[in-house]
Amino acid sequence: MTESPLILLLYNLARGPLVWISGLIFIMGVIYQCVSMYKLTQKQIPFMKASQLNDPDALKFDIKQTVLYTHPVMTVVTSVFHMCLIIIPLFLLAHNILLDQSIGFSLLSFSENISDFLTMIYCVCAFIFLFRRIFLKRVRIISTFYDYVIWFLASAPFITGFLAYHQLFNYFWIVTLHMILGELMIIAIPFTKFAHMIYFIIFRFFVVNEYSLRRLQATRTF
Amino acid sequence: MENLNNVEQTIAVQSQDTCQLLNTFKDKMTLSLKVCAHCTLCAESCFMFMKNNKDPHYMPSYKFINSIGVIYKKKGNLKRNDLEKMKDIVWKHCVLCTRCYCPIGIDIPSMISTARSYCRAQGVYPEFDEIY
Repeated sequence: MTESPLILLLYNLARGPLVWISGLIFIMGVIYQCVSMYKLTQKQIPFMKASQLNDPDALKFDIKQTVLYTHPVMTVVTSVFHMCLIIIPLFLLAHNILLDQSIGFSLLSFSENISDFLTMIYCVCAFIFLFRRIFLKRVRIISTFYDYVIWFLASAPFITGFLAYHQLFNYFWIVTLHMILGELMIIAIPFTKFAHMIYFIIFRFFVVNEYSLRRLQATRTF
Repeated sequence: MENLNNVEQTIAVQSQDTCQLLNTFKDKMTLSLKVCAHCTLCAESCFMFMKNNKDPHYMPSYKFINSIGVIYKKKGNLKRNDLEKMKDIVWKHCVLCTRCYCPIGIDIPSMISTARSYCRAQGVYPEFDEIY
């Protein structure tokens, strides 16, 4: 191998200890955020279930009040984007082979063609987000440099992964970059805007409000 | 006297009550500002936005970021001019109807309400004879 010692060191670090360190920081960060969220909650005010109310509209679902109605294209783009963000790395054949070699355990894997196709879809969605942020006034007006950094962190591991799979440019450099960026992203999840990954689940499934899946009579306390 | 007025225009009074108010809501503000993805999908849920030709200044996220977000970033040390600008955002551009919808689940009305409390504690609020 003719690579420089620095890149070899980075490769070995990214392939070995950094994976476990980033995973550990991620898990500890998620626990910390869940505890922080729990501390913000208060004792539940007694409420009636919507089904117990006499109001027939209490359980009515009005699609006109959802993002699906107001932004159908964005709903599809964002749903596909977030689904791919989770399933591609988990069920990628190469990741599972590495996992199997390391701890003798692996998940099911997509075929390489499917993963490749999903990665392309993911990149298209990511660029739709970027163009929206740049060219749509309403998004641009509240965008900051930090939003672009977050976009970069979310899309760079997938773009470099795609380049590495197709062996475009210098494979060794690209795959090292891919691993480092992926690990940075995992570390960033609990401590940056990516934390909405954790809070989305909490808000939709656990916190009682008129939009959550525990759709009961809302009790506003402010 | 004119200089004194200028000074008053640039310094916000920080009473103990106001600091306490900010400390009470600090964690909720931090969390809400941290998770806001600046996606603007909340915009159409605001009737003020819809009735004002979809002016982005009426988006719930814009109002939330430019009121409580500014208070949070400056740790409450705002100039009176900042508060006067905020007055329009929290009173004129929002009626606290609580119909805004955030896909992530941020309680935007609660945040605007906190910004209103902060402004009111600093003596910045709309007069009854002000026409909006």
